Amino acid sequence: MSTVNQTPATQSSTLKDQIREFIMENLAHAKGITSFTDDENLMESGVVDSLGIFRIVSFLEEELHVRVSDEEINAETLQSVNSIEQLVLSKKK
Amino acid sequence: MAYILQQLLTKGAERYPEKAAVWARGRSITYRELNERSNQLAHLLRGRGIQKGDRIGIYFPKCVESVIAMLGIVKAGAVYVPLDPQAPADRVGYIIGNCGCRGLITREDKRRGLDEATLASLEFCVLTDESPKSSNGASLVPWAMLSQFPAADAPKVVLTETDLAYILYTSGSTGRPKGVMLTHQNALTFVEWCAEIFKITSEDRLSNHAPLHFDLSVFDVYNTLEAGATVYLITEDLALFPSKLASFIETQGITVWYSVPSALTLLLLHANLSAERLARLRLILFAGEVFPMKYLQQLAATLPHVELQNLYGPTETNVCTYYKVERDRLASMDKLPIGIACENTEVFAVNDQDEIVTEPGGTGELYVRGPAVTYGYWADHEKTAKMVVPNRFQRNFEEKMYRTGDLVQLAEDGNYYFLGRRDSMIKSRGYRIELGEIESALLSHDAVKEAVAIAIPDDIVSNRIIAVIAPHDGIDLKAAELQQHCGAKIPKYMIPESIEFRISLPKTSTGKVDRVQLTQESIRAAQQTATEAVSQ
Repeated sequence: MSTVNQTPATQSSTLKDQIREFIMENLAHAKGITSFTDDENLMESGVVDSLGIFRIVSFLEEELHVRVSDEEINAETLQSVNSIEQLVLSKKK
Repeated sequence: MAYILQQLLTKGAERYPEKAAVWARGRSITYRELNERSNQLAHLLRGRGIQKGDRIGIYFPKCVESVIAMLGIVKAGAVYVPLDPQAPADRVGYIIGNCGCRGLITREDKRRGLDEATLASLEFCVLTDESPKSSNGASLVPWAMLSQFPAADAPKVVLTETDLAYILYTSGSTGRPKGVMLTHQNALTFVEWCAEIFKITSEDRLSNHAPLHFDLSVFDVYNTLEAGATVYLITEDLALFPSKLASFIETQGITVWYSVPSALTLLLLHANLSAERLARLRLILFAGEVFPMKYLQQLAATLPHVELQNLYGPTETNVCTYYKVERDRLASMDKLPIGIACENTEVFAVNDQDEIVTEPGGTGELYVRGPAVTYGYWADHEKTAKMVVPNRFQRNFEEKMYRTGDLVQLAEDGNYYFLGRRDSMIKSRGYRIELGEIESALLSHDAVKEAVAIAIPDDIVSNRIIAVIAPHDGIDLKAAELQQHCGAKIPKYMIPESIEFRISLPKTSTGKVDRVQLTQESIRAAQQTATEAVSQ
């Protein structure tokens, strides 16, 4: 399966790194995209499509252990690495 | 009765001048405005020397100007070519060159993304977002310029229903997309049948979920105009979020919905749909891929008041068969039929003995004849001759029919059932994808020796795409690099989501890559991964 030169998320990696790496390895590469910034709108640049959104939600729930309701799945919360980080932080408070 | 598409708008503008015709991104335009603006655009295009039959591209994200552009271009007697605003510039450039677009209606950021050779080939670009100050050079025409042209009437151009109205590009097996030519008659045959059978009225609010380069949008736009209804263009920011989309359908009071099944499945799974919320919705049409039965049954149960219709047909025929979902039969069905032929269209299956299938249970390739069938592919006589063939079942006069490449079975009740494809075309989220086009993109990378693209069946999107690659000896190639390479050649929905590397690919006894074996291996591996995921 796809091989990617990325350091795996370790204890020392920040939440933002984890989110960025997940999106890069699982969504961006499959769209032929190899770079994006933390505040880039991932829907506009085509990194995230309708199924990608639900892969992010599964990642948040399974890997980061936060519950996301259907209403919270929207363009504001999921548009960028930064906004996803904010969503997770607000849940962990 | 209308024989060219723009007559649908003229009729609407006379009957409902102040009614909203098109809504998008929080903005709407009335029938009068749509009529006047498209008249002005048509005069502008004629002023630029555009003649009957010339091609003009439409290249910007959906908004009310998209519909003005479509109508303005046909009113000038020209042929519009909707271009995917999300496709790589290389592919868009190829299409512009292939059909020889003389002009483009576009947005400055989109125009700037095109390559030099493509820009040089265009005589002019009408920019929907630019003010006169910021445009430079004679070849850039600001949208504001429209107001200088006559609004009351369209230019006088002699057109018949056999003239081309638009060209829709679909995936091509040889690595480049092919342009399906559609006449006014092709479109109107379908639109008039829909108007009759679905009883669209001026009270209806239609959604437009499909992109404009996708033939589903022909119904959304032209059946709206035909009825004097309103069409709500659904943009990416809405389409991506099921919960938001459901609220949109609810608050805008959408009455008629048409999309690929996967969009409906996502709504069903993630949007908390209910009959109370979508009380005004009366009709759901779906097409483009097979609707998985379990989700269709759930949808039918969740929205008991909504009529459900399965439409079938390749772009070359628009829709040619339909099946009205019978709720009382749904529980006992394991597969949904594609149904029976639409009015003014004939379909039949031709078996391996080259006979028309008449007995229930018989299988064969589906053929289509009638006024909905395309002339063929733009500037591709070879492909056209292969797919749009003389009707050998009657020899009294010359007539063409279209071979769909779809294998079907005729059932007891007269319905046809889709069995599969004769070739390597697949569907994913309703998009038609030729695996050959993906392989051609993979093989265009210098390090790739052999490449096979494989479709893995998927519950929600019909198929996911993966690839198996053998690189040239000793080259260390990364999946991400190859995916990036593909991103410059083919649309994102065609890029393999994962790539497996092997030293060499298995071969058949004739020395060809053994596609069947690779496909079986990959599907088995995918099923195993899925089972492991469940048991974890």
